Amino acid sequence: MDTSTHQPVQQSVAERLDPHTATTPLGDWVRELCDAPDGGNLLSMTINVIIIIIAICAFSSLTAMVLVWMERKLAGRFQRRLGPTRTGPFGLLQTAADGLKLFLKEGFRPNASDPFTYYLAPLLPLTGAFMVLAVIPFGPSMWIADPELGLIFISAIAGLGVLALLIGSWGSNNKYSLMGGLRAGAQAISYEVSLILCFLLIVLASGETNLLNIVEGQQGNFWNWWIIKLPGAGFIAFIFFIITSTAELNRTPFDTTEAESELTGGFHTEYSGIAFSMFFLAEYVHMFIAAAIGATLFLGGYNAPFEFLPDGWWWLMAKSYAIIFLYIWFRWTFPRLRIDQLMALEWKFLLPLSLINLVFAGILIAMGWIL
Amino acid sequence: MGIDLQLIPKVLDPLPGGKGLTNAVDYIVNWARSSSLWPLVYGTSCCAIEMMATGAARHDISRFGAEVFRASPRQADLIILAGTLTEKMSHHLKTLYEQMPEPKYVIAMGACTISGGPFYYDNYSVIKGADRIVPVDVFIPGCPPRPEALLHGILELQKLISGETIRQPRVPRPLNDDPMIDRHSADAAAWKEEDKKIQEELAGKREQWAAENPDFKAYKGERFKNVSGPKMGHTPVERSCTSVADICAAVHDKFPDIPLYNKAEITDEELAELSPQYIPDFVVGQEQYTAFISFLKNHADLNMDLLLQVTAVDWKDHFDVLVHLYSTTGKHKIFVRCSVDYSKENDTPEIDTISHLFSGANWHEREIFDLFGITFTNHPDMRRILLRDDFVGHPLRKDFEDSSRIVKRPY
Amino acid sequence: MDLVQTEIPEGFTRSAGGGHTEEYYLNMGPQHPSTHGVLRLMVRLDGETVKEIVPHIGYIHRSIEKMAESQSLIQNIHLTDRLDYLSCHMTNLGLCLAIEQGADVGVPERAEYIRIIVCELQRIQSHLLWWGCFAMDLGALTAFLYGFDEREKITDLFEELCGARLTMNYFRPGGCVSDLPNEFIPRILKICEHMKTTLDEYDNLVSKNMIIRERTQGVGILSKERALSHGCTGPVARASGINYDVRKDEPYGIYNRFDFDVPLGATGDCYDRYTVRIEEMRQSIRILEQACKDLPDGDFRSKEKPNYKIPKDEHSFSSVETARGNFSTYVVSDGGKTPYRIKYRSPNFSHIGAINDMASGYKLADLVTVLATLDPVIPDIDR
Repeated sequence: MDTSTHQPVQQSVAERLDPHTATTPLGDWVRELCDAPDGGNLLSMTINVIIIIIAICAFSSLTAMVLVWMERKLAGRFQRRLGPTRTGPFGLLQTAADGLKLFLKEGFRPNASDPFTYYLAPLLPLTGAFMVLAVIPFGPSMWIADPELGLIFISAIAGLGVLALLIGSWGSNNKYSLMGGLRAGAQAISYEVSLILCFLLIVLASGETNLLNIVEGQQGNFWNWWIIKLPGAGFIAFIFFIITSTAELNRTPFDTTEAESELTGGFHTEYSGIAFSMFFLAEYVHMFIAAAIGATLFLGGYNAPFEFLPDGWWWLMAKSYAIIFLYIWFRWTFPRLRIDQLMALEWKFLLPLSLINLVFAGILIAMGWIL
Repeated sequence: MGIDLQLIPKVLDPLPGGKGLTNAVDYIVNWARSSSLWPLVYGTSCCAIEMMATGAARHDISRFGAEVFRASPRQADLIILAGTLTEKMSHHLKTLYEQMPEPKYVIAMGACTISGGPFYYDNYSVIKGADRIVPVDVFIPGCPPRPEALLHGILELQKLISGETIRQPRVPRPLNDDPMIDRHSADAAAWKEEDKKIQEELAGKREQWAAENPDFKAYKGERFKNVSGPKMGHTPVERSCTSVADICAAVHDKFPDIPLYNKAEITDEELAELSPQYIPDFVVGQEQYTAFISFLKNHADLNMDLLLQVTAVDWKDHFDVLVHLYSTTGKHKIFVRCSVDYSKENDTPEIDTISHLFSGANWHEREIFDLFGITFTNHPDMRRILLRDDFVGHPLRKDFEDSSRIVKRPY
Repeated sequence: MDLVQTEIPEGFTRSAGGGHTEEYYLNMGPQHPSTHGVLRLMVRLDGETVKEIVPHIGYIHRSIEKMAESQSLIQNIHLTDRLDYLSCHMTNLGLCLAIEQGADVGVPERAEYIRIIVCELQRIQSHLLWWGCFAMDLGALTAFLYGFDEREKITDLFEELCGARLTMNYFRPGGCVSDLPNEFIPRILKICEHMKTTLDEYDNLVSKNMIIRERTQGVGILSKERALSHGCTGPVARASGINYDVRKDEPYGIYNRFDFDVPLGATGDCYDRYTVRIEEMRQSIRILEQACKDLPDGDFRSKEKPNYKIPKDEHSFSSVETARGNFSTYVVSDGGKTPYRIKYRSPNFSHIGAINDMASGYKLADLVTVLATLDPVIPDIDR
C-alpha cells in the first residue's frame, strides 16, 4: 500500500495534537489572563471549558434556528410560495418566535406515561449532538477535542440519538409513539451499517481515523478531496453516505418514524412544549452534523477548493450547507418509503453495494490508482 | 416543565422601573405566541377544504408562521374548527381541546361552528354552535369562509393575543349555554314591527314624492319579470339496455305474481311502450324477498350484480324497504320494494337480510336499522352506524320527536 | 402498558388477545391526518401488518335527509352542495335531474352544454385535489401545493360563474342560475391547454416516481367480484376492471354526444386507481374541448313557468357520475311542496365499506395509501 503521500501530513498534525502547541487566540488570552503560560492551570482550563460549552450551545441553537428558517423558506420556494415573511426581515425571526413560544408552553406529562423515561428522552438527542460537535474540525485551529479514533467515536455516539427516540416512544405509552420508536430503532440499526462502511472507505483510503488528519490529507486543490481522489468509488460512497445519513436523520423519504400521515407524530406524538422543541432542535443540529461529517470526509472539510484560497471554517460551512440544501430538497420532493421497503433498500441494495464499493476502493488503493 | 410566567410580574413590578420591564416581557411573549400559531390538523367538512386552500400556495398561511399543521394536539396552539360539529364528534373535540397545552386558542370557521348554520333547523345531530362545547376566541362567518377570511381571522387572533398580559392568567371565554330556540320567528316579528313603524313614518313623504313626480316609474329588474315560455321537452337520450318488457318477462317467468309498483294492471302493450328511462319497480312480499333478490342476482340475462343501495321509506303504517339494483352487463336497473309492517304496539319491524348476497348491503342495512329501526334478521353485525349508541329513537321515522335536539323550521 | 385487550371491540371478527398476543388494536381517527376528515378506523395489527379494519362512520352525520323532508325541493339544492363538496356541481345536478324527471321540466340546449362544461371542470378540480392529497398521504408534501395551485385556477372560474368557491349552488331544475360570464370559454380552453402540460409535469413528479410506484403497485388489490359485491362505482370500480361509467352507460344530460373513453384498470391495485383518475382528467379535458367548441347560443334556463312539484306517489331516481362514482338521488313524493323522502346514494359509502377487503394483509402504511386512492369525502358518506 502506497502511503508515502500521507506521511508529512501526519507529522504536522502530530505537532498540533500536542497540548502545548495546540492553541487558539481565545484560549491563549484566557491562559495569559490567568498567568499560566503552559495551560496547565486549573482556573484557565475551567474557564476555557465553560467558554467551549457556551460556544457549542450557542452554535447549535443558532444552527438549528438558521436551518429551520432555511427549511421553511426553501420549502416555500419549492412549493411556489413565500414562506414566513412577517416575523422580522424575510421572516428571519420566525424560528425565534417558535422557540420562545414552545418554551413558554404549558409543560405536562400524560398520566399514563412513565415519568423517568418520558423526561429523560428529550435530553439525550442534544447530548449526543454536542458530543459529536466536539470532534468536528471546523478550521485549522478550531476544534474542541481531537481523539485519535474520531470516526469511531462519531459512529459510537451517533447511535445515541435513536436511543432517545426509543426511550421516549416507550415512555410516552402511546401506540403511535411506540410504533414510531420501533421503526426508528430498526431503521437506525440497519442504516448504521452502511454508514460505517462509508466511514470505513475513508479510513481505508486515508489510513486515519482522526478527523483532523483526514482533513489535512485532503489539502490542496479540490481534486484532492476523497470524493474525486478515489476515482468512482469516492463518488459512489458519497452518494451512499447521503442516502444513509438521510435515513439516519429520519428525514423524507425515510421519515417513517414520524410519518405524519400514518402515525400522526410518531415518537413525539405525546411531547409538547420544551420537550418537543428539544427533539425539534436536535433534529436540525443532527442535520448539520451529518452534513459537516460528509463535508469533512468527502469534500475536504475546511480546505479551500483551490490552493491559492485561504482555508478556514467558512469552507466547511459552505460545504455543509450545500449538503443540507440537498437534504431539504429531498424532503420536499420525495414521498415516503414504507418501512419494509426501507429495510429492503438497506439490506438488499445498499449494504451489498457498499461492500462491493469498499472492495473496489481497496483494489484502487492497493494498486495505487489514486489521483 | 414550562416556565411559570406569573412569577415575573410578581418579582419585577415592585422594582423601580420594573413595570416597564414586565411590559417588555409581555410584548415579547405575546409576539412569540402570536407569530407562531401552529394549528391542529382538524377538519370535518367543507370548511376544511378552504382551510387547506389557505395553507396552499395561493393564499399561503406560512407568511404568518402558521403553516406548521401539527397532527398531534400536544404540539398545537390553535384549533381551527373547520366544518360542522356533530354530536358524535363533539366528545372527541372536547378531548382534543383538553389534550392541547396552554395557551390554546380556538377559531370557529364557518356558519356551522358559529350557530349550526344551514343545519340549525330540523336537525337532530348537529351541535348548534361549537362554543357550546369548547370556548371559541374568534368566529369567522361564511359558508365556507373564503381563505382571505380565515387569514383575517388569524390576524384578529394575533391582535387578541397581543392584548394579553402575564399579570393576569388567561381566562377562556365562557361556553355558550343559550337555549336552542326558534330565533327566526321572534326576529321576524320584531322586524315586522320595525318595518311597520318605518312605513308609517315614510308614508307622508311617499305621498309627497308621488305628487311631485307624477311621471316616475320604478325600475323593475330583469330577474323580477315573470317568465313564462313554452313547455320544453326533455332532451332525448339514447340508451342501450335491456328493455322493461324483457325484464318483466324474465321476472314473471319465475315469479308470476309479482306486480310493478303503481302499475299492477299494466298490459303488455303498455309495457312495451314504456321509455327506457322507466325503471321497473317490483313489489314483493316479505316471504319472497330474499329469494327474489337472489334470483335477480343469479339470473343469467338479468344479472343484477351491482347493488346501488338499500333504503327505506316510512309510510306511517308500514315501511317500504327498497333495493336498487343495477346490471353492469345489461346496463339496466331494477328496483325491488318490500313492505314491512309496524305499529305503535309492534315497534320492532323485521325483515331478512340480503347482506349474504351483496357485501355492500351490510352497511346499508345498518343505516336503515339506525335511522328507521328496522331489524334485519341474520345480519352479521346489526348495530348503529351513523349515530351514537346511546341515541334514543330512529330519526328518519315520521313520528320522531326530540325537542332537546330539534328546533322546528318556522318557515 | 396494556396493549392487548381481551374483549373484542365492536365489529371485529376475532380478538387480538387470547393466544395471539402479538396482535393489538390501533385507533385511527376521527381526527387523523390521513382519514380525510372524520373517518375513524379501528385496526387490528400484527406488528405493522394490518389484520382487520373496522371503519366507524357518522362523525359528520348532519341529517341532511331529515332536513330535506321539511324543505321544498329547490331549497334542498344547497344542501346537496354540502354532501360531496368536492363535486358539488354534480350533486346539484343529481337533484336537479331528479326534479326535472319527476316534475317534467325541460332544459334548453345551451344549459345542457353549460352543465357538461361545469361538471367536467369540477371533475378536474376534484381530481387535482385528490392528486395533491394522495401525494401528501404518501409523504410528498410539495405535490399537494402544486395540485392546489392548479385547482385555484379552476376555483377562480367557478367564483366568476356563481360567486362561490366551494359550495356553488349553481344548477336549477330547467337550467342554471345564470349564464356563463364573458370570456369564459376562452379561459376554459386556456386552462385545458395548461392542464395538458401540467399533467405531464405531474407524471414526472409523482406518477413516474419510483417510490410512488413501489408503494402503489400491487398494493390494496380489490378484485372485480369484491368490488361488485360491495357496490363500488366510479374510478375505484373502473380500476378493478368494471366498465361502468354513468356518463357512458346511462347518459344523462347530453353526455352521449361527446367522444370520450372510459379508462379501465387491470388489477385493481392502488396504482390502477391512481392512473384511472389521472386518465380521467385527460378525458375530461377532451370533453371540455368538444363542449366549448359546440356551445350553442340560447337560453341558459327554461322559460316555462316553474312548477317543481312531483306528483303524488311518484318517485324519481337519477344517477350522475361524480368524481367519486355513482351519486344517485331518489325522491319520493306525496304530492306536497316538500319531498316525502330523499335518499342520496353516496359512492364513498360503498368504498369505505370495502376497505377491509382492500387493505387487510398489507402494512399500516398501505392502509393510508388505499385510503388516499379511494378519495373519500366523509360528509358524503355520513350525509
